[in-house]
Amino acid sequence: MTASALLAEEVTRRYRNGRGVGPVSLRVDRGEVVSLIGPNGSGKTTLLRCLATRSRPQLGLVSWFGDPSRAAARRRLAVVFDATANADELTGRENLAFFSAARGVPSREAERVLQAAEIAEVGDDQVASYSYGMRRRLLLAEALAGDPPLLLLDEPTLGLDVSGQRWLARALKRRSQAGLATCVSTNDTQFVEQVATRVCFLVEGKVVHDAPLLDLLDSLGGTRQILLTSRETLPLERMRSVPGVQAVAATGEGATVVAQQREGLLADLLATLGDLDRSLLDLSVREPGLAECFLRITGRPLDD
Amino acid sequence: MTEPVPAAALAAPARGRLGLGPPRSLWQLELRATLSRRRALFIKMGFPLLLVIPLAATNAPQFFAGMLLTILIAMVGTVGTGVSVTRSRGSGWLDRLAVLPIPAWRVSLEIFFAGWLVDCLQATLVFVILEIAQRPSPLVILSTWLLALATLAFSGALGLAVATLTDNAGEAMLFLAVILAPLLFLSGLFTGVPAEGVRYWVAQVLPFSYLSDGFQLVLHGNPPYGSPAAFLLAAPVFLLVSLAACAALGRPLMARGA
Repeated sequence: MTASALLAEEVTRRYRNGRGVGPVSLRVDRGEVVSLIGPNGSGKTTLLRCLATRSRPQLGLVSWFGDPSRAAARRRLAVVFDATANADELTGRENLAFFSAARGVPSREAERVLQAAEIAEVGDDQVASYSYGMRRRLLLAEALAGDPPLLLLDEPTLGLDVSGQRWLARALKRRSQAGLATCVSTNDTQFVEQVATRVCFLVEGKVVHDAPLLDLLDSLGGTRQILLTSRETLPLERMRSVPGVQAVAATGEGATVVAQQREGLLADLLATLGDLDRSLLDLSVREPGLAECFLRITGRPLDD
Repeated sequence: MTEPVPAAALAAPARGRLGLGPPRSLWQLELRATLSRRRALFIKMGFPLLLVIPLAATNAPQFFAGMLLTILIAMVGTVGTGVSVTRSRGSGWLDRLAVLPIPAWRVSLEIFFAGWLVDCLQATLVFVILEIAQRPSPLVILSTWLLALATLAFSGALGLAVATLTDNAGEAMLFLAVILAPLLFLSGLFTGVPAEGVRYWVAQVLPFSYLSDGFQLVLHGNPPYGSPAAFLLAAPVFLLVSLAACAALGRPLMARGA
């Protein structure tokens, strides 16, 4: 049996303030794009740093391709952290050349990624002159070059425009088809819906749900997301008691509700507001996605 | 997998702003980055001259001139390395290096080496001025120059050590001042080296006391302990100790902030 590209067993890394992650168990197999989703402070980045060999777990074990050696793992993985750190005084090509050489990637292959990332034209410009989005593209190109067997990305769509997101989504899908493993930490659920094969929901440092993306989206069949914007605090408990309502969470401006679609649902929901319906500013109904899945399963909104 | 791109588009990687081929190692990349900061490099190369030209031209008292030039060399090595490495951590650059298949000791040595090469260039300019203005014997200037390069390495290692303890440039400066001031005092820079006792022995194992004596010799002074033979013997020892320290500091350097 082939070992998983990445296997984390009961990994724990907590900071003095109690935040952090763990115990968490996670597996990323070859050909998978696993996405870690959770609100800010849920431990996604801490976990990713442990998986990327950057941080040592206080408890638990991580192994890469069946080997717990971090030095050996670094020969087979590439990482993009959230910081856009490059040698700003040098050109994009020079930076790419260094990271490619360090990982043993042929320069021809590196150039190919630069072209695909649509930054080849500015490849001979100083990185200091790049926009934030171009810097992010360069970071991603440096990681994608040479098709590393394991790729770990922290908030990869940060700063990317629509074409950049499309390029990245295509690249991750191609990796998946080629049997290469990828783990993405992000809150960009629309991007995850495009690329992920499996999704892990993280809340307060723990994996609360781990399922294939398609299963999660299928579970939303027949449900609707209802967004209410109000001047005053809405009666969440009364709203939860409405038949068909699966989850209710307060948002900054009102509430979001996930409910099974049925006749009279909206009328019943509005009836729970009583006099408060006068403070209602807006009501919209949408097809639900991963964010609503997260709300239904964890009971809290992703942007908590 | 990356996307197919027409073969014609795959031109050979262009040369960088310095007209060199692509950097293949960390020290090459770090050195190029430093050399590309033209204004900062100009200031770095120029500011020691503001000190050494008046000292050399006015025949300042050798003890004080030696002290000032030694402090200059010590500051160049420690501050340059300590602050730049601390900044690299803050920007996330060390995070990126830490996950590459390069051992921590090599990362540390290569960062140190690139900084040291530039520092050596800076110190060499100082010695060129001293040679022109003072015309010391070739043995004295050569041995003191080698000692200065070894002292820069020692100071660079101190800077790296400080970078294992700090998270921002201001804190690094504070730590460097706190560590460097007593070392310079113990090296006898402010009061001279006593003929016996603990301070005498401490001064023997620090490069600053030798370098201060060396500068005094270059300036035609008569320091109590300095001799070119001792400098030639001490320089490689300090250099090797510094290199070993830099390699050993790799792991704690990368561990901070992990």
